[in-house]
Amino acid sequence: MSPKKRVAMELDPLFERLQPAEVFFTPDGKQLFLLLEPERFMDGLVTLKNAGFSHLSLVSCVDWLERGEFELVYHLLRWEDGKRVALKVRIDRENPVFQTVLHLWPTARFYERDIHEFFGVVFEGNADREPLFLEHWDDIPPMRKDFDPQPYSQKIFDEREYQHPFVPHIVQANPDRLPWEETIDEAKKGGETNGGK
Amino acid sequence: MAENNLELTRNQKEVELFFGPNHPGMHGNFSVHLKLEGDTVVQAEPVPGFLHRGFEKLMERRLWMSNLALIPRICVPEPDINEMVYAMAVERLSELQVPPRGNWIRVLILELARINAHLMSIGGLGGASGLYTDMYWAMTERDWILDIFEKITGARVYHMYIVIGGVRQDLPEGIVPFILERLDGLERRLKEFHDLLYKNPVLHARLKDRLILNRSMCEEMCITGIGLRATGIPHDIRRVDPYAAYEEMDFDIPTGEKGDALTRGHLKLLEVEQSIRIIRQVLAKIPSGPVRQKPFGNALRWRVPAGETFEHVESSRGEYGYYVVSDGSEKPYRIHVRGASYPQGLYGVQRYMPGTRIEDVALWLGTMDFCPPEIDR
Repeated sequence: MSPKKRVAMELDPLFERLQPAEVFFTPDGKQLFLLLEPERFMDGLVTLKNAGFSHLSLVSCVDWLERGEFELVYHLLRWEDGKRVALKVRIDRENPVFQTVLHLWPTARFYERDIHEFFGVVFEGNADREPLFLEHWDDIPPMRKDFDPQPYSQKIFDEREYQHPFVPHIVQANPDRLPWEETIDEAKKGGETNGGK
Repeated sequence: MAENNLELTRNQKEVELFFGPNHPGMHGNFSVHLKLEGDTVVQAEPVPGFLHRGFEKLMERRLWMSNLALIPRICVPEPDINEMVYAMAVERLSELQVPPRGNWIRVLILELARINAHLMSIGGLGGASGLYTDMYWAMTERDWILDIFEKITGARVYHMYIVIGGVRQDLPEGIVPFILERLDGLERRLKEFHDLLYKNPVLHARLKDRLILNRSMCEEMCITGIGLRATGIPHDIRRVDPYAAYEEMDFDIPTGEKGDALTRGHLKLLEVEQSIRIIRQVLAKIPSGPVRQKPFGNALRWRVPAGETFEHVESSRGEYGYYVVSDGSEKPYRIHVRGASYPQGLYGVQRYMPGTRIEDVALWLGTMDFCPPEIDR
């Protein structure tokens, strides 16, 4: 039996209760990702927590720009046998609102605050929405796929003018040689004259 | 104006205090905004962001191969775990098999890194409690371990040695006696560390039965690692979900009972002993053969098959993981870092730091295994 099927069978009774819309495996079949409908999602988390998956490793968010969706991923671990499962839910990208899981895992407060800051997802029931890492941020949330850092940094930071031209000047002067060869030669010359004195 | 403010705080008996990177007891670039009533903390608000360099966004803009040079920077005291989880994720998605020798060398590197991080943390305990002798000793011992890294990988702190498919190169000649000699030296010193720190009346007065992290707090915050093991639960990713060659290693998981700060500190020394034990096994039994399976052709055009995976390892501070999503292109689609100290560093500070005394704030952060760069990312 392939490992894929073995995992699936061991989780079978749980599967039925969760009624996942889609199931994803890693190629070796050792990890399981269950996509749930938003209205079934909280029940699914409660079911898994009661089944021993009480360790919340991480709450992630993925921006699927082309599909117009955010995907929230809750990674759970059961310590007793080291089994892992991740529950996924898709929410609308234009109106990104989802329920909080604070009542199940109080520690999710900062994961949700993090996702709110970097993706703009609002978690109803989690009032903690102050920026955590970014200061004076005035653009769209930066981890979204349509945020491009390059124009942003060009807008915010002035282009610096260097007093001493860096590599291009040296390359132009001696196109056949690499810039550091010149430097090494100069250093050698300097060393000889100093040594002579 | 200043007098008015003073008057106001006198009436309220509450003082606000910024406890940040300028404080000598602070572990790295992190700050906590404290409200104090007398010497007691009544409110604590974690304010990270000093080290936010946008790693996750940067990783989405780099090739799978070029990320190898970037990721070790996420965790300064223990960079190798980053390389490990990243390599594990790509190997799982593209179904690469690491040769046995590669896996064994990975265990060697990860355990050396664990010793390294624990020694730094033990030294930090000395800094926060005023026992500077301990800090100098621990840093010296750490430097001896860094010499081993330099011989194997060519670098002292950021090694970039664990790569996709195995490790970058085989162990150099004559390294085994060198490592054994250094480990013997460290083992002799561990007893002195024990006497210096954990028999010290000053440290007992400040740590014993204080700064408690009990079982229900661990469950609430989802804390892993030493914090959890100090309450008597022997949970260790190396044991429950083995990676690399840990399945073949014989080691114990030291646990405590009380969950106080002294126990947590003591467990670090015991874990160093276990790491030494694992490294000796690796050196005695390491199989021969290739150390790396080269992945898919030209490194500048690597494409990882579409899919997603969450990889985790046991770092010196607990569960450390990456959530990696690939859309089949030359760059990762999304990588999310699970810092091992994220729960206690943010939620823990806010929820459980109030009630401690001002002089224990630095110790609180130090003994909770706290690492700002992996929180900021």
